[in-house]
Amino acid sequence: MQKWREPNSYDYAPYRDRPKITWPGGARLAFWVAPNIEFYEIAPPPSPTREIWYRPEPDILNYSMRDYGNRVGFDRMADVMEKHGVRGSASLNVAVCDHFPEIIERCSKLEWELFSHGIYNTRYLYNMTEDQQRLIIRDSAETILRASGQRLDGWLSPAISNGETTQDLLAEEGIRYTLDLFHDDQPMPVKTRSGKRLVSIPYMMECNDVPVLNFKNISPRNYLEIIKAHFDRLYAEGADSGTVMCLPLHPYLIGQPHRLHILDEALKYVTAHDGVWLATGREIAAWFEKNHYDDFAEWMRPFNQPTSPEAAQ
Amino acid sequence: MSAITEDYFIYENRGPGTDHDRYDHRSLRSVPHFTWPGDKRLLIWASVHLEFFPMDMPSAPVKPIGGMDRPYPSVWDFSSRDYGNRVGIYRLMEVLDKHGVRATAAMNSEAAARHPHLMSEILARDWEIAAAGVDMGRLHHAQLSKELEETLVGESFARLRGLSGQAVTGWHSPGHSQSAMTPDIVAAAGGKYIFDWINDDLPYGFRTTAGELTQLPLSYDLSDHKILALQNMPIGDYEYQLSAAFDVLSAESAQRGGRILSLSLTPWIIGQPGRIDALDRLLTRFLAEDGIAAATGEEIRQAWLSVGPKG
Repeated sequence: MQKWREPNSYDYAPYRDRPKITWPGGARLAFWVAPNIEFYEIAPPPSPTREIWYRPEPDILNYSMRDYGNRVGFDRMADVMEKHGVRGSASLNVAVCDHFPEIIERCSKLEWELFSHGIYNTRYLYNMTEDQQRLIIRDSAETILRASGQRLDGWLSPAISNGETTQDLLAEEGIRYTLDLFHDDQPMPVKTRSGKRLVSIPYMMECNDVPVLNFKNISPRNYLEIIKAHFDRLYAEGADSGTVMCLPLHPYLIGQPHRLHILDEALKYVTAHDGVWLATGREIAAWFEKNHYDDFAEWMRPFNQPTSPEAAQ
Repeated sequence: MSAITEDYFIYENRGPGTDHDRYDHRSLRSVPHFTWPGDKRLLIWASVHLEFFPMDMPSAPVKPIGGMDRPYPSVWDFSSRDYGNRVGIYRLMEVLDKHGVRATAAMNSEAAARHPHLMSEILARDWEIAAAGVDMGRLHHAQLSKELEETLVGESFARLRGLSGQAVTGWHSPGHSQSAMTPDIVAAAGGKYIFDWINDDLPYGFRTTAGELTQLPLSYDLSDHKILALQNMPIGDYEYQLSAAFDVLSAESAQRGGRILSLSLTPWIIGQPGRIDALDRLLTRFLAEDGIAAATGEEIRQAWLSVGPKG
């Protein structure tokens, strides 16, 4: 199989002199929280591409670490968000709707958005045909509609296992925004083969509790500093043109008793600023698509002209 | 032709509850308010891991924290772990004694057999002995035969019961590693509780082929194994995180009912001269509030069965 040299999902756009983004109410920064509500199977079918668990199955240490989120961490995390009036946009392994409907009920009661993070976090898009990926997208849309009455608008590939054409499929299946691209701090048009519109929304791995706390082994007290510094800079830049800050979370990590205060203090800090739009992923994508998408697409064109006869072919 | 076949899209376990039969799903929030015996709201459970790392231990398929990191013969690794059973444990005992905390000693049976003096010191303090396998080179995982695993579990319980004279009802799988059969084998060997799964802050019932066990919450993310030895954080970050956990669990215990704060302590880690004082400061802080007491694993198991809400 011929491998691609690049994703081909987006064009170049320098972070200078961009069209001005104006958020509702003149806000400087759109802040959104994306809790990943996940289900890892104890005995998933094997993946041809990667080991799913770290130890021979059953990997009870890592399974139960994640199970903590659905038993304990979710409610603690949701309490703190509710206290600060911050809605979540849940990155949902949609099988959670079937396994733990009480979690979905609470999300609905809190008026959270639900978007898809695949069926299970132990089911990757790797090795799937396009039709098989479409099955996953359609299952997600049907399950979220059935469980909450919501339309599926957003997407984060399960375990970030997106393939070369996943973004094309998302656009063709009616998805409106994707989180699979980490190339920018502002919303961006996504290039799709059909020309159907898809918006990329920033999902910030720099502030995501899994890489920070589990991969990089950063202490919780430094995590809070990271979040605040990230916010401060984006808030300052938002004076010129609207910025986005995403706080991606996992209840099995942030909902632990020794980490919960990070979320409490981070939300207290963010919500104390006047120029913050507390939004959901869907709201940010819709606003950008309606008010800024065309300007961005037009402005970006000159940066992406073929520069040589070879490149033009 | 895709490597993924049609049956991949049949999800057999996709329905209410979790995806196995060992325990029922329970949200901690749904547990009705209860109080621990003696009108206590928060129990501090100190588990002290007494480990023996053979110098010729395997590093696969599961290498526990503290396993040999360097080429054989790694005297560096071996003696640094052995330090815990010679030096670190006595510092740990001094601090726990000072605060009147009786611990659960989760022992590799090999560590108990090699150090009779250590066992006598533990028994003199009326600590509880729990079985933690044979040694750190013999973990429990899916690649063991049932016969071998039964031998390991049987040897661990039998030697520890013989050396301590205690009933030995608790089981901790070294490295939090179990095979699919470990809980069944442990229950058949007379185990009453396990502390391996890290999915809750309260006990819950755990089904086996030999009756129900109680699974007690031993935090891994708050263990000295993880914070100090795996994540390599300074002791200040350990103290900070334990202190933050106490604040949340203490507040929750006042508002929503009984909770447990587990201290997962390892002599070769927390027993270092530059670290042990942090534990002293933490215990001073924890035990200063009303409604808080230390308890052993077996005491917590019995308390949970008598006053804990069902389900």
